[in-house]
Amino acid sequence: MRARSPTIVLIIAVILLGAAAATMSSYPVYLMSLAMINIVAAIGLNLLTGNSGQISLCHSSFMAIGAYASTLLTAKLGVPFWASIPIGAVLAASTGALLGAPASRLRGIYLALATLGFLQIVQIAIEELANVTGGVRGLGVPKAVLNGAVLGDYARFLIVLGCCALAIWTARNLLASRVGRELNAVRLSPHATQALGISVHRVRLAAFALAAGYAGIAGGLQAIVVGFIDPVEFGVSASLRQITFIVVGGMGSVTGSVVGAAVLSALPEALRPVKEYSDLIYTSILLAFLIFLPNGLVTLWQIVVRRLRHSDTLTTIAVRP
Amino acid sequence: MTPTLALQLAIAGISVGSIYALVALAIVIPFKASGVLNFGQGEIVTFGAYSGLILTQLALPYPVVLVGVVVLGAVGGIVIERILIRPIVKTPEFTLVIATFAIGLLVKGAISIRFGDSPNSIDGPFGSDPIVAAGLRFNPTSLWIFACTALVTLGVIAFFRFTRLGKAMRAVSVNPEAARLMGIRVETVYRWSWAISTAIGALAGLLVAPLIGVNPEIGQLILRGLLAAVIGGFTSVPGAIVGGVSVGLIETYSGVLIGSAFKNLVPFILLMVLLVFRPQGLFGAPEIKRV
Amino acid sequence: MKRLLLAACAALLCVVVPAAAQQQGVTADTITIGAHGPITGPAAYIGLAGRDGMLLAIKEINAAGGVNGRKIMAVFEDDGHSPTKALAAVKKLVEQDKVFAVMSVGGSNATVGAVDYMKEKGVPYYVSIASAPQVTWPFARNLFRGGTTETARYGELYAEFLTTHYKAKRIAIMSGREEYPRNEGDATTDKLKNWFQMAPVVRVEFNIGDKDFTPQLVEVQKANPDVIAFFGNPAEAAIAMRQAKELGLKQPFFVGSNMVDPALITAAKSSAEGVTGFSLIPYLPGSKAPAMVKWQAAWKKEYPSAPAGRPNNFDLLAYGDMYVLAEGMKRAGRNLTTDGLIHALEGIHDYRVGPVATPRTFSTRHHIGNLALVPMMVKDGQWEPVQWKSTRESDILQRYH
Repeated sequence: MRARSPTIVLIIAVILLGAAAATMSSYPVYLMSLAMINIVAAIGLNLLTGNSGQISLCHSSFMAIGAYASTLLTAKLGVPFWASIPIGAVLAASTGALLGAPASRLRGIYLALATLGFLQIVQIAIEELANVTGGVRGLGVPKAVLNGAVLGDYARFLIVLGCCALAIWTARNLLASRVGRELNAVRLSPHATQALGISVHRVRLAAFALAAGYAGIAGGLQAIVVGFIDPVEFGVSASLRQITFIVVGGMGSVTGSVVGAAVLSALPEALRPVKEYSDLIYTSILLAFLIFLPNGLVTLWQIVVRRLRHSDTLTTIAVRP
Repeated sequence: MTPTLALQLAIAGISVGSIYALVALAIVIPFKASGVLNFGQGEIVTFGAYSGLILTQLALPYPVVLVGVVVLGAVGGIVIERILIRPIVKTPEFTLVIATFAIGLLVKGAISIRFGDSPNSIDGPFGSDPIVAAGLRFNPTSLWIFACTALVTLGVIAFFRFTRLGKAMRAVSVNPEAARLMGIRVETVYRWSWAISTAIGALAGLLVAPLIGVNPEIGQLILRGLLAAVIGGFTSVPGAIVGGVSVGLIETYSGVLIGSAFKNLVPFILLMVLLVFRPQGLFGAPEIKRV
Repeated sequence: MKRLLLAACAALLCVVVPAAAQQQGVTADTITIGAHGPITGPAAYIGLAGRDGMLLAIKEINAAGGVNGRKIMAVFEDDGHSPTKALAAVKKLVEQDKVFAVMSVGGSNATVGAVDYMKEKGVPYYVSIASAPQVTWPFARNLFRGGTTETARYGELYAEFLTTHYKAKRIAIMSGREEYPRNEGDATTDKLKNWFQMAPVVRVEFNIGDKDFTPQLVEVQKANPDVIAFFGNPAEAAIAMRQAKELGLKQPFFVGSNMVDPALITAAKSSAEGVTGFSLIPYLPGSKAPAMVKWQAAWKKEYPSAPAGRPNNFDLLAYGDMYVLAEGMKRAGRNLTTDGLIHALEGIHDYRVGPVATPRTFSTRHHIGNLALVPMMVKDGQWEPVQWKSTRESDILQRYH
């Protein structure tokens, strides 16, 4: 029931954006590609944190695994990007499952610290295995090639657009299905879930793997769009930024991921005129969001809608079902 | 490794561990009282170092600087708690985590803009010439740090055991509702737990500044402080101290034994292992394992 | 929900700014230059100084009448020390602000992020501070390196200095795990081997941001060197030098060129006495030389409220390099084109704005502007030049034929 009209909206959006981008220079196209990469990452994180209720500070590490894996596959083994990126994502998802096995037994700050520890371990591994990863000097990414032709900015934008749309579509369907219900169930009432015979641990572990898979795709895409990766791009700041996407957008919903990532990707660009104060102002705006809209921008929409409708019937727009 | 070297390393480890212990203490106290994990604690330490810098540049004598930094830290904590933490204390846990982190970033950003990023330094109160005794070299600043940490620890333990506010804090950490019913003003307790924690954090910044300089990156200490808190158990004051010193010793010894390439991995692997097998650390209360 | 999705698309499109009208950055009375560097994040002290130094030069040039009757206008973008952001910055500068040329006062990784794009676009790209090899090799017509010299050159000068000035037979190297310090360490080791058939008696590494160097210093002490070469940042050098003194190490310290900076003395105080290193500029801020005193007064007049530690070396580097770029534009004549600028720059030989800068030389074969460094020592709390001259010719230009 829910899948129909949003899919049409998605297709319309894809066509509109694709057409609009054809007329623009590479600067805005590049920015939009980066924003959509952020959306894909945010979707993954939201499944893990918003739906299954597990905080993760190492989401960017899975992006790193996806980025480095796909880059190295292309650079060393000549695997084309359309294969190396999915392979990188599978690798990331496997690592996610590996981390999830012990980590999903932890709660609250202990889980936060465990994921933080994992992030540091990945950072150090990237930096120390410099012969393979380029270490802190970073790694140049081979240009994405299709049928012998190097893909330009617009072509890569279309690829990112397609992947982003796919990510939105799959996540929505996932959440509407039994998997989605299980994810939310383990967050809302783990005891009841366990009592129903569903292995809470298995669901949580699956959430880790899923989130890591999305992150892996995002990482691989970032590598081909930017053309250069270094470990700092996937450090603590990146993880925290992704958390802000879902907190500001709205946790537990795909729309929240999209809105949060889009808005917070646009914000630094809007803050360019403020030059060296942009970080400070960005953080202040973030804090303001946290204080006044703690449940995310999607709730803003609901407040507006509710006021406009003024009806007696309960509007059952559940953000976190 | 000669015994002299081992001892010398132990001194280095304990002295750097004392700083980690103070940071861990500053993290554990508000967590114990109100369940809030302050991810911005690192920046409080930075703030303390810079306050020390400003006060020193005003040519004030060291004891005045010390008291000044502690007071400024406490006041800063009260302000932050009032303006930023209070409104969001009821929101989901994640929001709080991000908020404390964002506050830390704000403090760091403001300091960066005001002071620039080039390193500054202040002197320790006893100079920097090493004291040589029994073939070992002691940095007077390190000794001072150790002494201060010991004093603070004793003070905090005494505070929790003997003072009214301290006992109230313990009551609130066990059961805020019951405490409220007993007439304890929970909001006041929260505010004071913050003030104490930020005062300790600021003090740590002042103490560590002669060793590592005054620059905006001091806040990275929080990672070590968190590790120390995990080792010690998040709800134990003596645990924080033991944890801090342990981290300092582990770091120093692994640097020599393993080589600095993977030296930094050791604390985090240790962290992961602890979290999986014994999350309550050495002294913390074991959490009832849920599903 | 679907409306929200469309709203999200609108938010995405908000990053789009309409393209400006056609220009190549040169009008009848202005030349528009773009620049990028880190003005936020931990590397902000580089970008802010680079920007300020560059803008000071532009102000002076404009006050003196500009370049062939045109005033220079600068657009500065933050790159946050990140290649992703640097690429966004140069795309904006080239496509949206339609600049005539771009100057980089950013770090190496960020600049490398932008290099491929700049090569593709053919817009003149003048790199002042970054030392990444990709800027000058393989050769690209529109890329120039100004103030910083090639990493290999550091190795050549350092190796020669350590063996001749200190007459050292046993050299210890401590290097940080970041591109710049590691490059310096590698280059020095390399040249010690190739030119002097010598290997360092010990090479230890540390992490940037480390606060304790006892393990590394212990290893160094065991190797009993004649001199300790340290490659990292001023904050770390200060801690290491102090701890060395505490551990009883008496060997002199030689530091990498990014530490030949008043910041080292502020941080290390008395431990810095006697330390040597090579500087990219003839005089450091704070020097009593008349030329520097005059320059600093002019700088302070322009930036009266800058924090302590400014002006720093990056102010001076960017200042000098902006003048070089302007000189190139001047020599290209009133009919200013990209080709004209490149041709004019390639004709520059030993040019510098004054005693506060080192001379630049470009040619049609290579665009490495600076191969000269100035040896210095800390005397009485101040960096002063040391009497030492290199007698070996550099190997670097051999591959540019």
